[in-house]
Amino acid sequence: MSRRPTSSLAACVWIPLFPLRCEEARHEGLAGYPTALLATDTTRKLWQVSPLARHAGVKPGMTVSQAIGLCPTLRLIEPDPVHYDERFANLLSALTEVSPVVEAAELGLAYVGVDGLEGIYGSRGKIIEALKKTLECWNVGRIGFGPGKFIAWVAASRAKPGEAIVVALGEEQRFLAAQPVSVLPLDPDTHRRLRQLGIRSLGALAALPEAAVTAQFGALGKRLWRLAAGRIAEPVEGCVAPEPIVAALTFFTPVGERELLVHSLDQLIARALKHPRRIGWRVHAVRLRADLECAEVNENAGRGAACCAPTNRSWLVNVLLKDPTAAADRIAAPLRTRLEQSPPTGAVERLVLEFTAFAPGTAELQLFARDAQAAARAGQQHALQSAAREIRMRVKRSCLYHIIEVQPWSRLPERRYALIDYEP
Amino acid sequence: MVAPARAPLRTDRLRAVNEPRQVAVELNADGEPIAIRRSRDNGGGQETTSAVVEVVLENWRIDDEWWRQLISRRYFAVILEGGARVVLFEDLVTNEWFMQTP
Repeated sequence: MSRRPTSSLAACVWIPLFPLRCEEARHEGLAGYPTALLATDTTRKLWQVSPLARHAGVKPGMTVSQAIGLCPTLRLIEPDPVHYDERFANLLSALTEVSPVVEAAELGLAYVGVDGLEGIYGSRGKIIEALKKTLECWNVGRIGFGPGKFIAWVAASRAKPGEAIVVALGEEQRFLAAQPVSVLPLDPDTHRRLRQLGIRSLGALAALPEAAVTAQFGALGKRLWRLAAGRIAEPVEGCVAPEPIVAALTFFTPVGERELLVHSLDQLIARALKHPRRIGWRVHAVRLRADLECAEVNENAGRGAACCAPTNRSWLVNVLLKDPTAAADRIAAPLRTRLEQSPPTGAVERLVLEFTAFAPGTAELQLFARDAQAAARAGQQHALQSAAREIRMRVKRSCLYHIIEVQPWSRLPERRYALIDYEP
Repeated sequence: MVAPARAPLRTDRLRAVNEPRQVAVELNADGEPIAIRRSRDNGGGQETTSAVVEVVLENWRIDDEWWRQLISRRYFAVILEGGARVVLFEDLVTNEWFMQTP
């Protein structure tokens, strides 16, 4: 809705295994056991694994039966993505107290723009102290500080829990050269190929000619080389978060039928679209969350592993619409797909829909719809242009014309007005 | 009328509005139209339609542009049977009749 604030100097705040840490914070004593979070889309596989469980050989992606075979005392936890999302939102909110430029990367990982903060806090050390204060309740939080997001991230990933690593300007290349290639945003195949080529550090990668790396790995290779050489310093981009539009439905009895959920979803979308703040704006991002019926004991309890009881469970889907829209069907389509592909793992007690980001104007012919006046205010001209473009694409010629005055004073009627193609 | 588009106007893209269409006209003794006949190409051949003039509302004459190509017309605003309101004019240079909307 407005231009994003940016900052070239970045601090990376990272809490590894954030969802698992949320569960440990919620269930006292859990940290002392080997634990694993189940995947959000299936309860048969593991999503995140605690260091204790990893020590016993349990790895993310393993099936539950494999994991229990390796570690019979493993505590399994069903995921509660809504809770993790709320905790992370709280963390972001705390970070915005330190800097107005905060960019969320993923659960537990955020970048803070620190350009100009020294003038407020006095020194770099005091900025780091302020950031550490936001992580007080997370004793495993790490902080990296440097020019650009990548260097800040690498620094955070190298820092010890509760500590910070600062990469000063001019020291980027020396710092990066000693880091392993695993800090790069790599897919497993590229990682394997780099290892097979004997490239184990960023320094080794940066020592190769850029053209050679590009020839071997394409555009990805070029980006990797530039990251490794410290040639890319992506700024932190803060976002202006609008207040979401929320519509919620609490079921009298928990609902497990998908058709009923889809029907409820349609109702929620219709209700949210009618919200006065939505009028004149197209929806860009949607979040659908569900509070699930509480489960007392996991099905694997009889095999030696038990969930923490009672377990708070939830289900969460975030969808970014490629083309912002105000059409209910187009908003519902990706959510329905997600309901089909990875449905909630239990009966739903409460379903909540949120419109979390918006785009101005309207691409549909909303000006002919019920909210015509508001839509017209926001972008009637834009809507007409889009409609004209679509018509021309469909019928291969322009069928819309302006009527323009030529000689309105003429006594000859055919000379007063003319038509001209309407071309946005 | 909608607001002009941002694209600049080009006269070669202009299309005429309300162009006169040639018709055949029957006149009464006073020289006023009493019926019109119009031929139209319907794709497979010529289709002729006719209509009776119910009322002549008014008439006027225009003589203009004598300095380049003379325009000399005698206009009749009429109502056809069925209620359509049209303007008929006789081109006094060629003695042809035309119809257009008011």
